Amino acid sequence: MSDARSLTVGTLSSDLIENENNEYVTFTIGGQLFGIPVLQVQDVLGPQNITRIPLAPPEVAGSLNLRGRIVTAIDVRIRLGLCDREDGDEGMSVVVEYGGELYSLIIDQVDEVKSLSDTSFERNPPTLDPRWRAYADGIYRLTDQLMVVLNVSRLLDFSDRIG
Amino acid sequence: MDDLLSEFLTETSESLSELDVQLVRLEQNPNDLDLLANIFRIVHTIKGTCGFLGLPRLEAVAHASENVLGKIREGEMEVSPRAVSLILMSLDRIKALMAALEQTEQEPEGDDSDLIKQLNALADGHLDESTVETGISGGLNASAVDENRAASFDEPLIPNDDEISKADADTRTVPQVAEIEPEASNAVPVPTSPDKGMQAKAPAQQTNGRQVANDEEPKVRESTVASQTIRVHVDLLENLMTMVSELVLTRNQLLQILRSHKDSEFATPLQRLNHVTSELQEGVMKTRMQPIGNAWAKLPRMVRDLALECGKKIDLQMFGAETELDRQVLDMIKDPLTHMVRNSADHGLESPQDRLAAGKSEIGRITLNAYHEGGHIIIEIADDGRGLDIERIKTKIVTNGLATESELGAMNDSQIQQFIFKPGFSTAQKVTAVSGRGVGMDVVRTNIEKIGGNIELKSTRGRGSTFMIKIPLTLAIVNALIVEAGAERFAIPQISVDELVRASAHSEHKIERINNAPVLRLRNRLLPLVTLKKLLKLDDGEELAENNDLFIVVTQVGTYMFGIIVDRVFDTEEIVVKPTAPILRHINMFSGNTILGDGSVIMILDPNGIAAATGELSIAESHLTDATKHKQRRDDLSSLLVFKAGGKAPKAVPLALVARLEEIDLAAIEYSNNKPVVQYRDQLMPLVSIDGTAEFGNEGRTPVLVFADRERSMGLVVDEIVDIVEEKMNVQLSAERPGLLGSAIISGKATEVIDAGFFLTQAFADWFDGPAEETQTSHQTARVLLVDDSPFFRNLLTPLLTVAGYDVTTIESGRDALQLCEDGEDFDVIISDIEMPGMNGFEFAQEIRTATRWKDTPLVALSGYTSQKDLERGREAGFSDYVAKFDREGLLQTLAQTLAEHRGAA
Repeated sequence: MSDARSLTVGTLSSDLIENENNEYVTFTIGGQLFGIPVLQVQDVLGPQNITRIPLAPPEVAGSLNLRGRIVTAIDVRIRLGLCDREDGDEGMSVVVEYGGELYSLIIDQVDEVKSLSDTSFERNPPTLDPRWRAYADGIYRLTDQLMVVLNVSRLLDFSDRIG
Repeated sequence: MDDLLSEFLTETSESLSELDVQLVRLEQNPNDLDLLANIFRIVHTIKGTCGFLGLPRLEAVAHASENVLGKIREGEMEVSPRAVSLILMSLDRIKALMAALEQTEQEPEGDDSDLIKQLNALADGHLDESTVETGISGGLNASAVDENRAASFDEPLIPNDDEISKADADTRTVPQVAEIEPEASNAVPVPTSPDKGMQAKAPAQQTNGRQVANDEEPKVRESTVASQTIRVHVDLLENLMTMVSELVLTRNQLLQILRSHKDSEFATPLQRLNHVTSELQEGVMKTRMQPIGNAWAKLPRMVRDLALECGKKIDLQMFGAETELDRQVLDMIKDPLTHMVRNSADHGLESPQDRLAAGKSEIGRITLNAYHEGGHIIIEIADDGRGLDIERIKTKIVTNGLATESELGAMNDSQIQQFIFKPGFSTAQKVTAVSGRGVGMDVVRTNIEKIGGNIELKSTRGRGSTFMIKIPLTLAIVNALIVEAGAERFAIPQISVDELVRASAHSEHKIERINNAPVLRLRNRLLPLVTLKKLLKLDDGEELAENNDLFIVVTQVGTYMFGIIVDRVFDTEEIVVKPTAPILRHINMFSGNTILGDGSVIMILDPNGIAAATGELSIAESHLTDATKHKQRRDDLSSLLVFKAGGKAPKAVPLALVARLEEIDLAAIEYSNNKPVVQYRDQLMPLVSIDGTAEFGNEGRTPVLVFADRERSMGLVVDEIVDIVEEKMNVQLSAERPGLLGSAIISGKATEVIDAGFFLTQAFADWFDGPAEETQTSHQTARVLLVDDSPFFRNLLTPLLTVAGYDVTTIESGRDALQLCEDGEDFDVIISDIEMPGMNGFEFAQEIRTATRWKDTPLVALSGYTSQKDLERGREAGFSDYVAKFDREGLLQTLAQTLAEHRGAA
């Protein structure tokens, strides 16, 4: 894949390191900050050539070739029930592995890797949209915003859909 | 060499080298239980394999060593140098035997009782340590054993005496050398603990010595098989494969660049790179592919043993053993396959007595068949045994609480059969050593589904069961046609593409529409078409542009032929099928996806799924029903033999009635009892002419239609054989003349259809009850089902009944008839033969009367026996009436009467 632009993941800001720290790759979708544990992330990609898959569930954007492996692209926006991406905004992708398969999660913009302390972790507020509650493990209180921790397994568990 | 044997040699020589090391280590650490267990296991495996392969000498030696190890393991004996050396000695013996085995594929003649006696003595504790030490440390004893061994070998192993003495010399000298310089030859780890000292060293070195002895000649041969193959982890191959795919893509990109730079200096090296890459790709692919026969190799033996064990006669037939599939897939299906064959042999097939009683051949048959079909490999495991017992499955389902009676009531048989795949289900009433341990079909199914496959089952009671395993060819290379629809590209496996048709409004191939359903005239057939764009919902609602050129991919799925309309057709390309992500697996339109040469991902279409989506019977429909349906369809068309005899009008007879066409010399006709006969196949065959005359000319030759039923045959002398045509026999005019059924239009001409039955009675008065008279039965269009195993009578009665105004369906067994019943067919009256193999007429009647939709349909028995007793038995079984087989008149009357009564009653 010639244009598979692997971005170097930003170095973590050292001032955040505390005793019980967890590292997250953070990214934004529709202005909201999300995070995925850094160890689960295999790759960060720029815009890709994606093959559409007819008849697939709406959140499946298509598949792409990542160094000889076929990766299924999931549009996290649609999975989260957000509105469609604007035309021309191709987004970026975070590649994760689930059940032995690679998935490319299409998000708006990748942010930095953050190391966050357990003390700033909160459980999902019960007022959260049920769909979000299902995919989120919890919330981190950052100084200027909140970060939702995405649970990759639940996000990619389509068994409810396939039945 | 036999595959099994060579595999055994490879495996065993690996185990043996491992053992050498481990035994010596054990001597150093006599308390290492894990090590001991491991050694014991290896020896045990060797013993078991030898027994399996029928190698008594190897087995005996391995067994004796195992005994010793067993004692040690159970703590009854200490690990002593004596014990270890004895075991090492027996390992050497095994190695030597294997060397001979590899050379001659047979165990050499000879006797190992010396060694075995020592081992047994040791195991029994008779051999005390003191004798041991003197016996072994000097190495003399060992060489004596060696001499024994050498002498006991076959000729080819030790070609001349010089070799023996050389070998012996080596054996003698090595220990001495070892004593002087113990560290010099340390192929085997030499124990260093000083307390064991020489005791330990000597045996260790002796092993070496023995190896040196073997090194001379046998050792070299031993290694040939072992060194031909190496074991590589499949993951490694998988990685290689990925890398090669990458390389191929890069190569393609380079070639693409090269095309735009003519006369580049890179051209030559790039060509070379191109070739090397292709070969590399091919090679790597090959490493993973294996013929499925490898997984089958052990089955014949297993089935044979099973047959003996269960007292059955089993014929195992295997087709398509050369079908290649991915090694990993092969490994995954090996066990399920074995399990299923075992099941078929154990549960599926009946005992010879039961088979005979059921009218089947004594020998049960298990058929394995593997073939490629549309990007999948299909493996069929079929037996002609008793089939699944629905009632027993039901009972089991209810007792196991898998479903309730009422739920079962709403299910059809095939749904109920599916329950055998549920966990913990086993119908075997008794648990045999062979199968029925409760781990059953659910495990098989899980294993198959793990690799993205599925398993289907069809079973007919009394006729056997067929399992169809469909597995994707994960890494198999497929030739695929790349097409475009709605701006997206798709691959269609070449194997399912019959032809390509270009259609445009002005060409000879034009897409026509019946109420918007597109069809294409293709060689006098109407081909149903599906639009890929619409099917995949890529058409954005726009109408199909009529003027544009379109391409039609003509595809066949089973017997269903259809065309797929695509926008464009590109090239064919070799692709590597990869399974789709689990999220997409429910879309049965795709069988997988792949990466094309240009690096893009493309979906592979599954013609089966497309056929299913277009409403044609799904692939889940059984082959069995396909076959019946096919048969019925064929029944509509009959092959007719058209000939001329006695008069101008062409005459016809159903070809199926005619056993043979012969030409006889008129001079050979003889007369017996004033009837013309001819010697035919050592029998006298009566001859009949179409007009009843018994006079034939004396010279020349004449064609004869031979009709035969069982032992009897008769010849109908005709003037000329015109043709064989396949047409729907629609007898339109009932004939006035005896011997004619009526007239029909055949090949556009009015043709007289003759009544073969009439001529049979001419030849053998007792063939039927006297000559038939033409009857004018009232013409109802009642549907008649005729069940008779004899094709002769089916063909004979069909025209008779058709002419009498019945709509006749024929079927050859009660089983098939019941299938029709299940399929929802209905008839006004059923005529059934009594004497039939498998399920006889009485059983058939009982079956119908007890539980089926047909329980009120009148049932007429047709039999050779019409005694009062038979009549009563028939009525008991549920027959409405009973007619003698050859009383055609009576049959027609009975039919008319039965129907009238039934209609009156209804």
